[in-house]
Amino acid sequence: MLKKNFMNVLIPMLSILLAFIIGMIIILCMGANPIQAIGFLFRGAFGTVTNLSNTVVRSMPLIFCGLCTCFAYRCGIFNLGGEGQFLMGAMAALAVSLLIGAEGPWVTVLAIVAGILAGGFWGLLPGILKSWRGLNEMITTIMFNYVAVLFMGFVYTSALREGSVPQTAAVPDLTKISRIFPNLRITWGIVIAILVGIAAWYFLFHTSKGFQLRAVGFNPTASQFNGFSVKSYRLMAFVVSGAIAGLGGASDILGTQFRLISGYGSGYGFDGVAIALIAQLDPIATVIVAYFFAVLRVGSTTMQVGSGVPTSVIDIIQALVIIFAVAGSAMMHLPTVKVFFSNLFGKKEAA
Amino acid sequence: MKKIFSLLLAVCLALALTACGGAKETPAPDSSAGAATDTPAKTYKVAMICDSAISDGGWGAACYNGMVDAATANGWETAYTDSIDQSAYADSMISYCDLGYDMIFAPGNQYSDAVVQVAADYPNVFFAVLNGSETLPTANIASILPDAKQIGSIAGIIAGTMSKSNVIGFIGGMELDTTKAKLANFESAAKTINPSISAVSAYAGSFNDTAKGMELAASMINDGADVFFGDASAVDSGARQAIDQKNGTGAIGIFDIGQPADLLGQNPCVVCSVVTDNAGMIGLCMKDVQSGTFGNKVVYGNLENGCVYLGKFNDELVDADTQTKITDYVKALQDGTFGK
Amino acid sequence: MDGSTISDLIIATVRMATPLLIVALAELYSERAGMVNIGLDGIMAFGALVGFLVCYWTGNPYLAVICAAVAGVGVNMVYAFCTITLCANQIVYGMAINIFAPALASFIYRVVFGVSSTLAQATLMKTVAIPVLKDIPLFGKLLFDQTPMVYLSYLLVIITAIYFNRTKSGLNYKAVGEYPKAAETMGINVIRQKYIACIICGFFAGAGGAYLTTCYVNTYSDGVVAGRGFIALAAVIFGRWTSPGVMMACLLFGFFDALQLRLQIGSNLIPYQLFQMIPYVMTLLALTLLGNKISGPKANCKPYFREER
Repeated sequence: MLKKNFMNVLIPMLSILLAFIIGMIIILCMGANPIQAIGFLFRGAFGTVTNLSNTVVRSMPLIFCGLCTCFAYRCGIFNLGGEGQFLMGAMAALAVSLLIGAEGPWVTVLAIVAGILAGGFWGLLPGILKSWRGLNEMITTIMFNYVAVLFMGFVYTSALREGSVPQTAAVPDLTKISRIFPNLRITWGIVIAILVGIAAWYFLFHTSKGFQLRAVGFNPTASQFNGFSVKSYRLMAFVVSGAIAGLGGASDILGTQFRLISGYGSGYGFDGVAIALIAQLDPIATVIVAYFFAVLRVGSTTMQVGSGVPTSVIDIIQALVIIFAVAGSAMMHLPTVKVFFSNLFGKKEAA
Repeated sequence: MKKIFSLLLAVCLALALTACGGAKETPAPDSSAGAATDTPAKTYKVAMICDSAISDGGWGAACYNGMVDAATANGWETAYTDSIDQSAYADSMISYCDLGYDMIFAPGNQYSDAVVQVAADYPNVFFAVLNGSETLPTANIASILPDAKQIGSIAGIIAGTMSKSNVIGFIGGMELDTTKAKLANFESAAKTINPSISAVSAYAGSFNDTAKGMELAASMINDGADVFFGDASAVDSGARQAIDQKNGTGAIGIFDIGQPADLLGQNPCVVCSVVTDNAGMIGLCMKDVQSGTFGNKVVYGNLENGCVYLGKFNDELVDADTQTKITDYVKALQDGTFGK
Repeated sequence: MDGSTISDLIIATVRMATPLLIVALAELYSERAGMVNIGLDGIMAFGALVGFLVCYWTGNPYLAVICAAVAGVGVNMVYAFCTITLCANQIVYGMAINIFAPALASFIYRVVFGVSSTLAQATLMKTVAIPVLKDIPLFGKLLFDQTPMVYLSYLLVIITAIYFNRTKSGLNYKAVGEYPKAAETMGINVIRQKYIACIICGFFAGAGGAYLTTCYVNTYSDGVVAGRGFIALAAVIFGRWTSPGVMMACLLFGFFDALQLRLQIGSNLIPYQLFQMIPYVMTLLALTLLGNKISGPKANCKPYFREER
C-alpha cells in the first residue's frame, strides 16, 4: 500500500520533470538560457512575499474546480462542466452584489449563497438529462460550458456592462471578501477552499453516505442490488460538484477578480479535471496539486517575461505536464504494468 | 528490474538536483549584472503587453513597431508579451515590474483597469496607456491619446470623396470609446462631403477572428458598400481579403482605408491610410521618464503636432485631382474650418 | 430580403459549413470506433498552420492540404497512443491536445516569421466550376462554382454513408464502437481498428483546419479556428452519428452563423452571443428530445482493456 502511494507521487513528479526538460530544450532552441529561465520561474513564484501570496491567490479557483471534478468522479460521473458551473456561480454572486443596491458582509454571504445555488443548478441540468434521458454527461456538460461562456459574454457586453470597455462594474468594496493580511491579496476564500477540501475528504472516506456514493461510482449495478438509489446519488453528486464550482466562482469574483471580463475563467474547468486526475481523485491531494498548478502559472509568467520566449512555450509546457502526468497514472492501471510492478515490489520485499 | 528502477530514480534525482541548483545560481550573476550597469549609465527598459499578436499586420504590429522605433531612438531596451487574455494582463505587468522594467506600454484602453491596479503596487514603474482616458493619469500613469475624432474624420473624408455607391462600411473590434468616436466621425465627415452617403457598421467582438472580418465585409459589399474603414487588427485583414476577392482580377472598385500604420501596398484595395505616429508619442513618454517628469499628463497626438497624418495615396486608384481635394479637406480639418 | 441577399446567405452558409463538415466527418469516423475526440479544435489549429506554411512556401494549396492532413494525423497519434494503448481518459487527452496543438502552432508561426509588421499572405485555392451543373439557373453558380475541397467534402458524405451501411468492413468498424468485446471474438482487431479510426480522424481534421487557411482566409492568426471543432462535435451528435445527418447539422449551424453575422450589421439590438449559443442549445434540445435511444456508439469514450477478464 505504501509502495502504491509512493508510485502515485513519483509518476506525476517524473512527468513534470520530463515536461520541463522538453520545455527547456525548446527554450534553448529559441536562443534563451534554460537554466536562467528556470531561475525566473522560481523567482516569479517564490521570489517575494507578494509573489508567494499570488501563488496562493491563483490556487484558490483551481482548488475548487479540482474538488468539483474529484467529487463527481468518485460517484462515477465525469463532470466536465466545472468551467460553466464556476462561471454561473461567479455571475450569480456578481449580480447579487451589484443589483441588491447595498453593500456589506451580509451581502457577501448572500452573494456566496447565490453562487452556490447557481453552480448547483448548472450541475443539476446535466444531472437531470443523465438520469431522465440517459445522456452522456461528458457531452452535455461541454455544451453547458459553452452556453455559460456565451452567456457571460452577453452579461459583460450588454446586460451588466459598465463604461466603454466590455466589462461589468466591480463588486462594491464592502461586499468584497476580506483579506487575511491587509497588504497581501490572499483572502479568506482560500480558507474556504481548504475547508471544502477537508469536508469532501471527510464525507467521502469517513461517512456511510460517502461510502455509498463511492460504491455507486465503483459498481453501479452492485449498488443497485444492495438497495442504494443509484439515481439519487448521481444527482446528488452532480449538484454538489456544481455547487463546489459555483462556490469557487463566487469566492473568486468577490475576493480576487471583482468584475467579469473577456476570457475570465477560461480553462479552469479543464485544469480542474487534470488536477483531480493527477491527484488520483483524493480531495486532500487535489488541494496540493492545485497549488502546484498555481505555482507553475505564476512562475511561468515571469519566466516568459524574463527570458523573452513566446507565451506559447508556457502553454506547451503546461500541456506536456498534463499529457505526461495523466498518461503516467493511466499506465499504472494497465493490467500488464500492474503485474510488472507487483513483481518488482514482490521481489524487493523478498530480498 | 530492481536495477532499472533504481537507475531511473537516480537519473531523475540528479536531474532534479541540477534543475534546483541552476535555480539557486541564477539570481546571483543576474543581480551583479544589474548593479554593474546601474552605475555608469542606466539602460532604461520598456515592456509592452498586447492582447492581439504583434505580427498581426495591424494594430499589434503598429504599436510594437512604434515602441521599438521609439526605444531605438532613445537607447532603451524592449520586451513584449502578446496574445494574452484579458485575465492575464495584470500578471504579465507585475512580472515586468518585478524584473525592474522602467516603463510599461499598454496599447489600449482595455488595459486601463489592470494598469491602475498594478501601478498602485509599483509606484516606481511608469505606465503609458495608449488611448487611455483623460481622467486616467496619476503620478505614474500617463495617457497617450491620438485624436480618435480626427482619425475617424480623415477616413470619412477619404471615404466620402471616393465612394461611388454612396454606401461606406466600418468594422470595429470592440465597442471601445475610441472606436465609437472613430465610427461617428467617419460617418459624419463622409456625410459632410456627400450628404447622400450612408454608413453600415458592425462589431466583430474580437481582434483576432479573421474569418469574421471576411464575412462581415462580404455581406457589407453585398449591401453596396464600396469604401471600408476598420478598427479591429486581424479582423481588418480578413475584411481586406474579402474586398480583394470581390474586386477579383479586374478593375478595383471597392476600396479600403488602412490604419494605424501606412498599409499602402499590403493589399491592392488599400487606397490610403490614416497614420498614427505611435513612436513619436511613446518617445515623448520615454523622455519624460528619463527627466523624471512622467505622470499626471495626457500626451495628445493629432494633426497639429504631426502624430496623426494622412498616409501616401495609391496613385493608380486615386487621381491627382481627388488627391488634392482630400488633402485640402484634411488641411481644413486641421484648421478647424472643415464642414463650416 | 432581396434575391442577392438570399444568394449571398446561401454562399456564406456553404462557405461556413464546409470546414465544419470535414471536421465533423473526422469525428464521426473516430466516434464510430468508440473514440470521442474533443481535441478537434487543436488538430484543426495545427492543420491550419501547416496548410498555411506549405501554401506560403510552395504556392500549392493542394499540397498544403495534404501536408496539413498528415500533420493532423501526427498530432492525433499522441491522443491515440495515450487513449488506446495506455487506456487513459479520452476527454482529458482531447482537451490536452486543445491546449498543446494551438500553442505549438502559434510557436512555430512565431519562429518562422519572427516579429514582422508585414502580414504573410498565401495564395488561395482556386474555385473550379463544374461544366454543366454550374449553368443550372438560380443556384447552379452558387453550388457548383466552389473549391475542390467543397466537392470532396460532400462526396465524402456519400462515401461514408455507403461505407458504414453497405460494406462488411464498415459494419465491422461500427461493431468496434458498439461492442468491442464481441468484435474481438469475431476476429476483428479492435486495437488496430481504433488506431485506424484515429488516423482517419486526424487526417480529415487536419485537412479541415487547412481549409480555413487555404480556401477561406489567406493569413494565419492564432485563434483562426475559433471553436469550430466544438461546433463540429455538436454537429455529430445533432446529426445522430450518420453522415447525411451530420451534413444537415453542419449546414444548419453554418446557416445560423452566416445569418448571425448579417443580423449584426447595422443593428446591435440582439446580443450576438445569443445567436452563437444556437448550435449548443439545439444540440442539447435534440439530445433531450431523442433521448438515449440514439445516443451514439455504446462503447464511446470507454477504454478498451484487451486482457481484462
